[in-house]
Amino acid sequence: MPPVALFCWHFMAYPYLPDDFDQRYESGWITVPNALWDRERSRGLYQEYIDQLVYGEELGFDGLVLNEHHQNIYGLMPAPNLIAAALTQRTHRAKIAIVGNLLPLRLNPLQVAEEYAMLDNMSAGRMICGFAVGGGQEAFNYDVPAPQSRTEFWEGVDLIQRAWTEPGPFRHEGRHYPLRYVNPWPLPLQRPHPPIWIPGALSIETMGEVAKRGHTFFLSSRSHGPATAAAGKRFAEAVEAAGDRYHPHRFGILISTFVAETDDEARRASAEGVWYFLRNCLKGHLRQHGRVMTFGAGMPTQSVRSWERYLQNTEPGAKMLGDVADWDELAAWGSIYLGSPATVRERLWNLIESARPGYILMQFHFGNMQAEVARKSMHLFATEVAPYLRERSAELYAREYPHAEALARA
Amino acid sequence: MSIRTLTVAGSRRVTLAELGEGPPLLYLHDFIDVHGATTDWLPVHERLAERFHVIAPAFAGCAGSDEDEDAVGPDDAVFHVLEVLDAFGVESIPVVGVGIGGWIAAELAVRERRLVERLVLVGASGLYLPNEPIGDIFFDVQPRNGTDMSDLRRMLFASDASELAHAWIPDGRLALEREVLRYEMFRFAGRIGFRPPYLYDRQLVRRLARFDRPVLVLWGERDRFVSAAHAQAYADGFPDARLWMFAGAGHAVHLECADEVADVIRTFLDSAPQAAAPSRPKHNA
Repeated sequence: MPPVALFCWHFMAYPYLPDDFDQRYESGWITVPNALWDRERSRGLYQEYIDQLVYGEELGFDGLVLNEHHQNIYGLMPAPNLIAAALTQRTHRAKIAIVGNLLPLRLNPLQVAEEYAMLDNMSAGRMICGFAVGGGQEAFNYDVPAPQSRTEFWEGVDLIQRAWTEPGPFRHEGRHYPLRYVNPWPLPLQRPHPPIWIPGALSIETMGEVAKRGHTFFLSSRSHGPATAAAGKRFAEAVEAAGDRYHPHRFGILISTFVAETDDEARRASAEGVWYFLRNCLKGHLRQHGRVMTFGAGMPTQSVRSWERYLQNTEPGAKMLGDVADWDELAAWGSIYLGSPATVRERLWNLIESARPGYILMQFHFGNMQAEVARKSMHLFATEVAPYLRERSAELYAREYPHAEALARA
Repeated sequence: MSIRTLTVAGSRRVTLAELGEGPPLLYLHDFIDVHGATTDWLPVHERLAERFHVIAPAFAGCAGSDEDEDAVGPDDAVFHVLEVLDAFGVESIPVVGVGIGGWIAAELAVRERRLVERLVLVGASGLYLPNEPIGDIFFDVQPRNGTDMSDLRRMLFASDASELAHAWIPDGRLALEREVLRYEMFRFAGRIGFRPPYLYDRQLVRRLARFDRPVLVLWGERDRFVSAAHAQAYADGFPDARLWMFAGAGHAVHLECADEVADVIRTFLDSAPQAAAPSRPKHNA
């Protein structure tokens, strides 16, 4: 049984906002004026971010992770497939995971099937292909009606999988994307197709849909506590209910981390980037101050029943991650595991032991963090934290999931 | 209030509210309205029900009506209403529509001009006017700083300062039942009108000429969801329309000026058909 796979995730934030951004602007999303984009200072920005991911491969990370956001300063990857294309030519071993292409924003899922198939060939079969509905912001960015987006999404996922596995040409009869000729060239290199990952929050409906299709569920929550382990357990139950044997490599978690020589040094070295990230990048997303555009009546993607459950379980206006007042409050959110190698090891091991993820997708770079600061943290993680987690998780998973040896793919 | 469930088109359940005795009147709801924000009648409905048998179906997905997963545009809402009317077996009926309901009422009228006896539009979306965009209610329903709903109040009421606005759109959360009604209404509106054309139908303005029966266009002059320019465009587009503008009122004119709105509607519906002639805009202030 393979150990937990450790992936390096880059969000590619815009790092050159003015110091008074938080006072002057309501949001880092949708309406954040692009007059703030500094063309000259941004020269070479993508190069540096790509270099950091390439460095991740050099350090031995198992995979590199990209995702898609539009019209925002949190993540400058409206087209993650372009970054992935660059990575296919700069890296040779690491998996490249895109989590994921936002299907309802595309004219047609077939286009995604084609691009992913190209990337799988260009990377010699290293792609992990994620699909996502898109957060509430994307409804506004691309005028995608939220109530339909779930059905559009699942039709798209199933069409792409079929396009990769069923000999074409065939006709697709669907509610949203009827096609008379489905016959993509090229096909992906991996058989039967690249691994498919679907992100979700705590929705049981999504877990059930992922489980019954045999895909990997990736928990996109930015804070971790007992709910993370509960989500892992619920997804495992959904997998078993679908008639499959569960193993950790059906489940991934997003976690942010920063490692320095000591706990104090970690706070000191990461402060600039972390607080820029929390105050600016999360404004409009996971911060009450300003305007949350991620979920709500304005982007009614969730079913009425799951919205009702959400209302019953939350307080109006309750603090979100981006509203935390200080380091101690931040620590309590379980979002950014920050500290000495020993501290981060312990916290991550506790997470692994309780939630049993097969994949941990880690954010190392925050907001306007200087490149060398992020790189140093990545290096410390790779040398002082990763070996411990791999060794112990290999033991744990071999003991707990003996049946999974043959099943695990990564 | 009598609420029942009607089954239409074989299996789809529609929540239907009825009030009053007399000739039937079809009422199509908006956001701040019966089915959209409350399960109770508003004062304006009670005034109308003194004279009419008010029939108010909830749109698909609203207030317990089954959601229509296949719906993608206003036509689906029009057929939803037609199926309700089929169940009543009416051949001709006056129709009052507010906001989104007004849009659907106008779409209904230009298609089924013998079915719609007279048409009343209140703050109706549905038209495309250059440089007069319909307000982004989906954006404004998202609170500022977690609980501040003033943007939505300003969009739907004449003033954020009004008690009425705060009663209907308080800061923070509504009671669970009303919060769910709101979510369902936004889901319905999002399904049929979020993807551009945003809450309008570009062809509608030139089709208005088909409906040659009397039309009353009622509007709050300070409507910031569907601006008063849209009122004039509706009045200009129908061959036989009169316009009644309420100074000082907003989109929720049916709440802000409930009695006057009901009276103007009743007077209009009671007047003899031949008395109806194209007229100039009237102002009540």
